[in-house]
Amino acid sequence: MSHLTLPANEPNSTSALPEEPSVLVAKKHHLLVRWSHWLNVPILLGLILSGISIYWASPIYQHKPDPITGNFDVAADIGVWICAHVPGLHHYSSPPDWIYNHMSFGPGMLALALRLHWLCAYLFMLNGMVYVAGLLMGGGWRSLLPRQTDLSDALAMFWYYLGFPYAKLTRRKWPHPRFNTKYNALQRAAYFSVPVAGSLSVATGWAIHKPMQLHWLAALFGGYNAARVWHFWLMWLFILFVVPHVILVFADGWDTLRSMIVGWSRRVKRTEPIANER
Amino acid sequence: MSDDKKSDSLQPEEIRSTGSPLSAKRGPRTDGAASSVVKSLSLKKPQGFFEERSLPAIDMAPGRLRYLTRRDVLLFGAGAVAALAGGGFLLPQDTLSRLGVRRNMDSPGKDWVLNEALRIDDDVAEALYSGSRRVPTYTKSQITPLKNNYNGATPDPGYISGWNLTLDGLAYGLSISLNIRNLLTRFSVHEQITRLVCVEGWSAIAWWSGLRFDDLLRAYPPMSQAKWARVESSVNLDASGNPDPYFMSLDLATARHPQTLLATHFNGQPLTVDHGAPLRLLVPVKLGLKNVKAITRITYVAEEPRDYWAERGYSRYDGI
Repeated sequence: MSHLTLPANEPNSTSALPEEPSVLVAKKHHLLVRWSHWLNVPILLGLILSGISIYWASPIYQHKPDPITGNFDVAADIGVWICAHVPGLHHYSSPPDWIYNHMSFGPGMLALALRLHWLCAYLFMLNGMVYVAGLLMGGGWRSLLPRQTDLSDALAMFWYYLGFPYAKLTRRKWPHPRFNTKYNALQRAAYFSVPVAGSLSVATGWAIHKPMQLHWLAALFGGYNAARVWHFWLMWLFILFVVPHVILVFADGWDTLRSMIVGWSRRVKRTEPIANER
Repeated sequence: MSDDKKSDSLQPEEIRSTGSPLSAKRGPRTDGAASSVVKSLSLKKPQGFFEERSLPAIDMAPGRLRYLTRRDVLLFGAGAVAALAGGGFLLPQDTLSRLGVRRNMDSPGKDWVLNEALRIDDDVAEALYSGSRRVPTYTKSQITPLKNNYNGATPDPGYISGWNLTLDGLAYGLSISLNIRNLLTRFSVHEQITRLVCVEGWSAIAWWSGLRFDDLLRAYPPMSQAKWARVESSVNLDASGNPDPYFMSLDLATARHPQTLLATHFNGQPLTVDHGAPLRLLVPVKLGLKNVKAITRITYVAEEPRDYWAERGYSRYDGI
């Protein structure tokens, strides 16, 4: 692949009006990467909501049944606690169901939740293949690979994010750590981990879905019960990723969001050989 | 942004040769000489296969960028609306009514989509099944408690004394009735410690013994066109204790699996009423709901028979 040749003769780059200076842009994300990125939103939402409905049928985290209520589900306890402590929820009709009513399709619908989960799971696997195809076709996979300097660079980025609100409030200078790669080390770690977590979610999903025919897969994660725990916490990894991901995209600005919708970014750096070596 | 300072420190000579700040106006690069320079430079700096490449930058008219942005953002919005509509269409009625939707949104289309997903998943399960693949077995120290998971009330043990197993759809057009002594004396007993996995997610490792379903099939062969067994318990009760016969479809390939037992003993003792005395199906390659307790009749049929839980929205093959 000739990444360094100038796409100077692309027809769309020569149509500039004389009075409007042309802008330097680069294609940041391949079409398939963008498609699969956005398709993940409804698919993951469906997987999580149906997944917690399935979890309701047999919670992983249980304790001895309460002598009065007979409850044994830790998630139900959390719901009871929330309804007792959050103002306005004191009269909630079924506190043990609060978590399931707000974080899933609802309690007591295992058959439906399973069907939705399989539908979303097959779509998720197909979408994952589309994503990988986009990474390969656009060459984007190289930007995700870890580097030797990642640990110190990631710490620098972490320090930057940590101090950013205080520096803003006190109007202090707080320079962004410099890098000349597509992603900073923290982004790279996140964007590398998410497809890995996605693959692990699929693998643990198969391990608990077919624990007999694929018993070796379940054994890989420490057996059937352990694979269920893996599958549960991998879901949390996605949730924990999405929150800062969305906040930081909006903090970073329109160009970053646009690059995931349109593909083009105006943030093309001079450091890149394409600009330097003219 | 301070990025051009950074570039200074990284590649000073290149910055000097470019010499233009970020905001400089750039003309279209159609110069053939320039690209040949790039080629020679890139030859000097060979990149590793895994090394990150710079993004090829091009000059674009601002109007074109605006047009592409507008077009793709509109497409994106249309896609988001479509996804929202599609997601709403698939939402369970219970969820919709909790969200304040009073109208019944169930439709044949919704059922079709969800049933199709279930059918694909069943086909995958059937493709994964291998008659020669054994399920993992465990040691006695790994045995875990197994709860009585009768869906409704547990039947009164009174049925046990008059219990018979009826076989229908046999090769010679006959129906036959066997009592527990016939079964225990006629067939050799096999033991296994295997995991029973419930559709709900829990599982239990238990020690079972009984006769192989395969041995029964050899002793009383089904009619030649039979591909399925309908396994039935007439003693099953619903939650309020009324008769609620349980029936389940089992493909004969799975029935012939060497670890598919007609179990008579649990943890070394004859089955208690909780676990389906005096004879239950133990088919570890299927979900627990196929492991019919207190079997009273097995009918061999050519077409896939009805299935209690499939009629309640669960899958019909249930291979695990």
